[in-house]
Amino acid sequence: MAASISGYTFSSVCYHSANSNSDHEGFLLGEVRQEETVSISDTQISSAELLQVVEIHNHDPCAQLFSFYDYAGKINEETLNSILKDRRKNVIGWYRFRRNTQQQMSFREQIIHKQLTQLLGVPDLVFLLFSFISTANSSTHALEYVLFRPNSSANWSSTLSRYNQRITLTIPNLGNTSQQEYKVSSVPNTSLNYTQVIKEHGAEFFDKDGVMKDIRTIFQVYSALQDKVQAVCGEVEQSERVKEKNQEDVNKLKQQIALRKRKTAEEERMLREAQNADSHSTPEENTEPSEASPLSRITFHTPSAPERPSTSPNPPSYADLLSQDDSLLSSSSPPTSAALLPRPQAVGSPGHPTPSPLGMGLGLGLGLGAGSNPVTTPSTPYLGNGDGSSSDSLDRQAAGQEDDEDDDDDEEDEDEDSSEYENLVSEAAHLPMVSASVLAQGRPAALSPDGDARGSQTT
Amino acid sequence: MNNMSPEVALNRISPELRPLLCSVVRNGRVGLDSTNCLRVTDLKTGCTSLTPGPCCDRFKLHIPYAGETLKWDIIFNAQYPELPPDFIFGEDAEFLPEPTELPHLVQWDAGNPECLLQLVKELIQQYHHYQCQRLRESSRLLFEYDSLLEDPNYGRNMEIYAGRKNSWTGEFSARFLLKLPVDFSNIPVYLLKDTALDPGEDVALLSVSFEDAEATQVFPKLYLSPSIEHALGGSSALHIPAFPSGGCLIDYVPQVCQLLTNKVQYVIQGYHKRREYIAAFLSHFGMGVVEYDAEGFTKLTLLLMWKDFCFLVHVDLPLYFPRDQPTLTFQSVYHFTNSGQLYSQVQKSYPYSPRWDGNEMAKRAKAYFKSFIPQFQEGAFANGKL
Repeated sequence: MAASISGYTFSSVCYHSANSNSDHEGFLLGEVRQEETVSISDTQISSAELLQVVEIHNHDPCAQLFSFYDYAGKINEETLNSILKDRRKNVIGWYRFRRNTQQQMSFREQIIHKQLTQLLGVPDLVFLLFSFISTANSSTHALEYVLFRPNSSANWSSTLSRYNQRITLTIPNLGNTSQQEYKVSSVPNTSLNYTQVIKEHGAEFFDKDGVMKDIRTIFQVYSALQDKVQAVCGEVEQSERVKEKNQEDVNKLKQQIALRKRKTAEEERMLREAQNADSHSTPEENTEPSEASPLSRITFHTPSAPERPSTSPNPPSYADLLSQDDSLLSSSSPPTSAALLPRPQAVGSPGHPTPSPLGMGLGLGLGLGAGSNPVTTPSTPYLGNGDGSSSDSLDRQAAGQEDDEDDDDDEEDEDEDSSEYENLVSEAAHLPMVSASVLAQGRPAALSPDGDARGSQTT
Repeated sequence: MNNMSPEVALNRISPELRPLLCSVVRNGRVGLDSTNCLRVTDLKTGCTSLTPGPCCDRFKLHIPYAGETLKWDIIFNAQYPELPPDFIFGEDAEFLPEPTELPHLVQWDAGNPECLLQLVKELIQQYHHYQCQRLRESSRLLFEYDSLLEDPNYGRNMEIYAGRKNSWTGEFSARFLLKLPVDFSNIPVYLLKDTALDPGEDVALLSVSFEDAEATQVFPKLYLSPSIEHALGGSSALHIPAFPSGGCLIDYVPQVCQLLTNKVQYVIQGYHKRREYIAAFLSHFGMGVVEYDAEGFTKLTLLLMWKDFCFLVHVDLPLYFPRDQPTLTFQSVYHFTNSGQLYSQVQKSYPYSPRWDGNEMAKRAKAYFKSFIPQFQEGAFANGKL
């Protein structure tokens, strides 16, 4: 059980008591409420604690001693009613003040307490005892107060029960000075004047539901922000889908290119073989392996190409979950759209561009679009990939020569770009092949999960 | 604050409450152990500290009970002296008497100086009942109590203190304080007169402490009022038997009582015997008696002459005469020792029997004198100088 009393009530009781020239007593008005605390711990066992809180709102001092009881301590109910009048139902306890005595309930106080508990029908009636101790030369005076709950635990030994009956009485904002903030008291103010004033002037601060107006305004702002975020989410989702679709198209086209290359290479080889069959010159044979090596390289790596769609940066769920119209996506994306590739910008600023039909997404700006269209315009306004790599690769790609270097570059770019989002295995496999050209590029670390590793490895 | 003399307390208390405290402090004797008055300490006031003059209205009252001292707080209000006091019963937080059993509280009359004292007596009675209730925790001790209660000799003069020796270990202990119904009225007055204090009532109290509920550790102790103690020969003369293990109070207490009664009887008898002895000597030696103790009959001095040789005989009668033999001191009237004293010889063993009556003893003594005197004379002449 816990108890609290507001500071002004406490000081009022002290004032009345200290000014009386003898013992003093009175009643405590307030309310008792139950607080239930449910605590959940890692063991998933929730425990509920019931705490009874006694709040003392007000006090009613008695004009004199023995005002409602006689010499034997027997309470006269009529006198009690005439003293309390209609406050009787608010009585939660009573108090007594006596100077220079022990902090223990006296004989008569115990008798009166028992009767009050019965008459008022309050099972947990509390008793607040004030005692005022002065030193012999009146230099130091101490006001001590103890709150008793004598109706608890009757079966304990006398020593234990004497100390078990005490409850701590807290006075908000009085005590611990290390707390810097001012706590709002949990004990409500039941004064009539106070409620009148609040009623009169409350309309300026509160709306009809009793909620503070400021809160409503802030809540409106919050809702507006939430709506905007939702809208942006939708846009992001759409752009992601477009990008995924484009990625798929790119992969298909790459496959086709690779296939065509293989065919032409095969045809050339067969031609050469036919030619070589006539002459027995070895140097040409030597060139074969060198020529064959990029081919072999290509052949070595093409199996990984079909892997890419499975390891695409966009999870398949986008395409799976929602069927979307791919009309927006076309393999021959106009180069001008590259100019509209969105850059990462702050939400809410006016310069937010509309997402491009390519749907490259924010921060993803890859040279894929350019890479997949090697025969398109030589220069693009969009400089650099989203990962910050230099635009040299793009220029080379724009030249659009189907030679080994381009192949390498393509391979490179494919490797670079795709490996930004793909797993390390494929990327590690790509790395040894991008040696010279990558070094020439001198690109900084890619924007990938293992960007740093990349950078260090390349340098 | 402690050991405050009653007068100091009376000076500090508020004038309206003074008569009440006066009767408590001066005449207040409560309970069996009434040798000590009630003591008052820790006088404090309930008025504001600026109130002038003697205005103390609350104090601690020390009450002897069953070998313990109860310290009860009594709280008045100096501004309202007509109101009855409130009490805090110290360590006995569970003691809550029924107000209807306290007539002096219900009809408190501040004008009656005895009111507070009577109220305290009623409270002590209620306290006694409360302690007897507490005995129910131990069936053994309860049996002891009930058996004593049945005996009219002891039942009405009993104080019981039942408490936990140690609140934390819960060992139960109890103390019985019994007033022994021994009649001291026949003890010769001279024996009782010799005390500095006002002796009050002559009382013998037996305190039996049970240190555990099974009565395996029992410590009895006998308390006598100072005059009785002196009359019986001091505290060393009185040894009570140890409490028999497995015994009970209803057997032990009468035993002690009997022992004490016997002692008292003996002392009384001794007095009479001595008187008889002296009377016999007086009649036998007549003019030879110089002086004798006419109150206690413990001493007798004779001046005798034998063949023109005068000598003094001092007879010292012990307390437990006739069991113990009187001491005879022969003293020469002529001879001095080197230290300037009269030459004397002490005779402790001579023909004697406690069964003789006074006359017989006087006759035998006379005979002994006759037989011993030549010897003494020689000794006096040989060792003393004129």
